[in-house]
Amino acid sequence: MKNWKKILLPLAASALMLSACSGGGGNTETAASGGSGDAAKKEITIWAWDPNFNIAALNLAKEKYAKDHPDVTINIVENAQADIVQKLNTGLNSGTTKGLPNVVLIEDYRAQNFLQAYPDAFRDMSDKIKAEDFADYKAGPTSFDGKQYGIPFDSGVTGFYIRTDYLEQAGYTLKDVTNIDWDQFIEIGKKIKAATGKDMLTQDPNDLGTLRVMLQSAGSWYLKEDGVTPNIAGNAAFKEALELYKSMFDADIVKLNSDWSQFVAAFNSGDVASVPTGNWITPSVKAEASQSGKWAVVPIPRLKDTPNSVNASNSGGSSWYVMNVDGQDTAADFMADTFGSDAELYQELLSKIGVLGTLKAAAGGEAYEQPDEFFGGQKIYSDFAKWTTEVPKVNFGLHTYAIEDILSAEVQNYLNGSKDVDAVMNDTQAQAEAQLK
Amino acid sequence: MYLFLSLAAFVSIFPFFWMIVSSTNLSVDVTKGRLLPGTHFLDNLQKLTSSVDIWSAMGNSAKIAISTTILAMLIASLAGYGFEIYRSKAKDVVFSILLLSMMIPFAALMVPLYRMFGKITNFFPTFGIDTPAAVVIPTFTTAFLIFFFRQSTKMFPRELLEAGRMDGLTELGLFFRIYLPTMKTTYAAAAIITFMASWNNYMWPLVILQSPENQTIPLLISNLGSGYAPDYGMIMMAIVISTIPTALVFFLMQKHFVAGMVGSVK
Repeated sequence: MKNWKKILLPLAASALMLSACSGGGGNTETAASGGSGDAAKKEITIWAWDPNFNIAALNLAKEKYAKDHPDVTINIVENAQADIVQKLNTGLNSGTTKGLPNVVLIEDYRAQNFLQAYPDAFRDMSDKIKAEDFADYKAGPTSFDGKQYGIPFDSGVTGFYIRTDYLEQAGYTLKDVTNIDWDQFIEIGKKIKAATGKDMLTQDPNDLGTLRVMLQSAGSWYLKEDGVTPNIAGNAAFKEALELYKSMFDADIVKLNSDWSQFVAAFNSGDVASVPTGNWITPSVKAEASQSGKWAVVPIPRLKDTPNSVNASNSGGSSWYVMNVDGQDTAADFMADTFGSDAELYQELLSKIGVLGTLKAAAGGEAYEQPDEFFGGQKIYSDFAKWTTEVPKVNFGLHTYAIEDILSAEVQNYLNGSKDVDAVMNDTQAQAEAQLK
Repeated sequence: MYLFLSLAAFVSIFPFFWMIVSSTNLSVDVTKGRLLPGTHFLDNLQKLTSSVDIWSAMGNSAKIAISTTILAMLIASLAGYGFEIYRSKAKDVVFSILLLSMMIPFAALMVPLYRMFGKITNFFPTFGIDTPAAVVIPTFTTAFLIFFFRQSTKMFPRELLEAGRMDGLTELGLFFRIYLPTMKTTYAAAAIITFMASWNNYMWPLVILQSPENQTIPLLISNLGSGYAPDYGMIMMAIVISTIPTALVFFLMQKHFVAGMVGSVK
């Protein structure tokens, strides 16, 4: 009669046991990281994204560090970038440091959100590294309140990737596209389209990366120097950038894409003649081996009418942050010893992984002087390193992505002609002010 | 009529077709939109298994999904049965409050839950942050499941219970020996819903699980796509593998599932 008990009770018990007992591996660490402070704890955890880039870089640094510090254990945990943001926000918000890593990689555009909201959660690295040792523009996002929190990592320096064969067909040489402004870019784009039938570039109208690149080339941003006040209405550089953005679409030289895979496909399939974007696109460009020798990289175009605009800008890029959880001194030591000062490590990072760092002392050397056959023997990394030093410094502030959400809706109104440029700028400013109060 | 049906069928089948085809192509071909099966199935599989530990993630997901499903079936059905069969003045009020809880988005609960598990970690590390148990505990019963069981119980013939009582069964005996076997189809439908929700659950495991050994399949796939140059062929392969268990569960229980959704009692 009672044989249901014989089955069900063990079943329920085993279900609980199954989930409870199997936590062995991970929970011992987190349990140990609680309790009283132990700044010199010898086991540290690091969160980052992209196995082929940031994680690979960490592994190289870990290997080098382990030679002199065999007593330190470094756990590298891979998480997608959006996931790291979510986990950090939840963890920091709940006020418990359990489960938080010792070191975390944060994108420069977002860094100030974390630093300003939770300054106590991050370790001030001023005693270990000097901001002047890194590319100037990296100091903006990585410091707050006079303290240097971040260890600047990869350069998001931009380049203007161009198909030399299409350029030739349209009667141009590389010289004609070097150090040009965006107006010339559009004119050349029209000629290339007439000669080859190919669009000049591909854009996702919802991703305003190109606008950001144009803005930073002039040392301007969505926000004023204080990092809080929206800087849209009356911003001359912004107006020029917006007008250029629209004229690109009006000139019919833009192939539309709607996501990353279509973006990559547009140049892999040879449908567009150029890609003006961050140097992190290099591996994706090189993925189509059949186009070897047909590409070159020249400096990004500048704004014509904005006087201080230069042929160098930035798109993306991240930095490392040490968190104030047990083991923070060990973690700070590891970061300062490797990414914070080791020029030799950066040579390896570049030659093995293609990471372009921002440590000034590392900007020369053999790895940077390697010619790349894919780009017709051009020493692209030496060029990128040079342009990195020229990137204007801006304060990305707290609301880069919040403003971009407002802006991307407004830009659609501008592109389809239902609003003029001043209305778009004023409306964005008003919305941003109301929303970011 | 058939035109519309074939169109609807095409729309729902195409993503699956694309997923399987893409898993046999190189990343470059995927981005170019190639729709023909390629020859890189084994390459992608090999790349995937050598770069991440997908089998351990599958194991973690299975462990969590199976425990969640078993616990959910037991507890939610007992609750649903209780709400419908037993009489109490307060029961409708309690039930309304329960239903109200369906309206709180999970995002609002996440921070307090995380805090709670942070505290639990101090005393019972096996149930704390970064353990599979911490994933199961807040997710195994939902107001929806209890509601679902209560609705199905409305059609359950009470005469069967009366007959059981006559024959001297205890109240729990009635539940397990009469109710449970009669409601097989409802259980099947609920099990499928719970299993799939648990298998695909992303937000809570993401927040509460930290170490790679505990990673579930959705987290692993999310990581694969995180690179500056994602390998789409490999990602599609991972997605194909992760779909197999849910597809299996669904096909095995399909007959009962359909019956359960329309609410039949044999």
